[in-house]
Amino acid sequence: MTASTRRILLEAGIIFCLGVVLGLSFNTQLVLDAFSGRLTTTSRPATVVADSVEPAPQAAAPASFPIPAILDEVRELLRVGAVVIDARADEIYAEGHLPKAISLPLGEVDDLLKAFKRNVAREATLIIYCSGFGCPDSFDLGMRLIEEGYEDVRVYEGGFPEWRDAGLPVEKGAP
Amino acid sequence: MSRSGFYLYHICRLALGGMFLYAGGVKADNVVVFARDVANYQLLPYAWNYLVAATLPYVEAVAGLLLVFNRKVRPAALLLAILTFVFMLALASVVARGMEIDCGCFNPGQGHTSAVMALLRDVGILLLALLTLRLRSRMLS
Repeated sequence: MTASTRRILLEAGIIFCLGVVLGLSFNTQLVLDAFSGRLTTTSRPATVVADSVEPAPQAAAPASFPIPAILDEVRELLRVGAVVIDARADEIYAEGHLPKAISLPLGEVDDLLKAFKRNVAREATLIIYCSGFGCPDSFDLGMRLIEEGYEDVRVYEGGFPEWRDAGLPVEKGAP
Repeated sequence: MSRSGFYLYHICRLALGGMFLYAGGVKADNVVVFARDVANYQLLPYAWNYLVAATLPYVEAVAGLLLVFNRKVRPAALLLAILTFVFMLALASVVARGMEIDCGCFNPGQGHTSAVMALLRDVGILLLALLTLRLRSRMLS
């Protein structure tokens, strides 16, 4: 390798590092939140009675984006009482969904949101899923619920297919 | 270098630089949605999708900016060629796994470019980056 080639490679590396540093400096909170958004055992059970909950102890500043959650985290969060939300259409929900999932199809969110907000506390931990990685509805619904004031919104990107394929319990029936 | 080679170099540099400056800019403006596009590839642990989404657009934009301003052209073009090659590997894995996702190459969350189309486009971008690198080297020799 010639000295010139080495210098070009070194400078390419410096440009890369400069971009990374710039990106991290503009998105520090986002990255920190993403990496610290993993499950903590102090997660409080959510409740569906809006006026009887205390703020979750782990909640610092409300996130401005949904936190991704993996299958193990979802299972643990559900065990401690997180609210699980199915963002798929009603008829798909009826064919099979996560146990106790609330149906809130993205396409009907405007109609259903009022009742949802009445029943689910803003401080609740929400886990939203749809049809897996290629499905953007859970993320979009998460953004919408954050706009509505929900503070702890997680997106289970593996969605129903991953849950079902892991052999975990599935419920059937219309919302 | 001939006059045509001189013009070709500047056209390649501006096209490559402008393209990545635009791609980086729109993604940097919508990092969260871009993170979802990265997650769709199912290649990284979840939180790392955010790390990539937070940094990659700025790498693209910095390299693109250097090319547009005709500074550090060879390192910038080389970096973009390497990045494009990495994107091609990721897209090839998507095709191999039979997944149907948006490539997330430009406007995150808008439109849909299949992995095969994106792969073909990346072949062109890789050639453009290598041509820019070669023309610049010839210019300096």
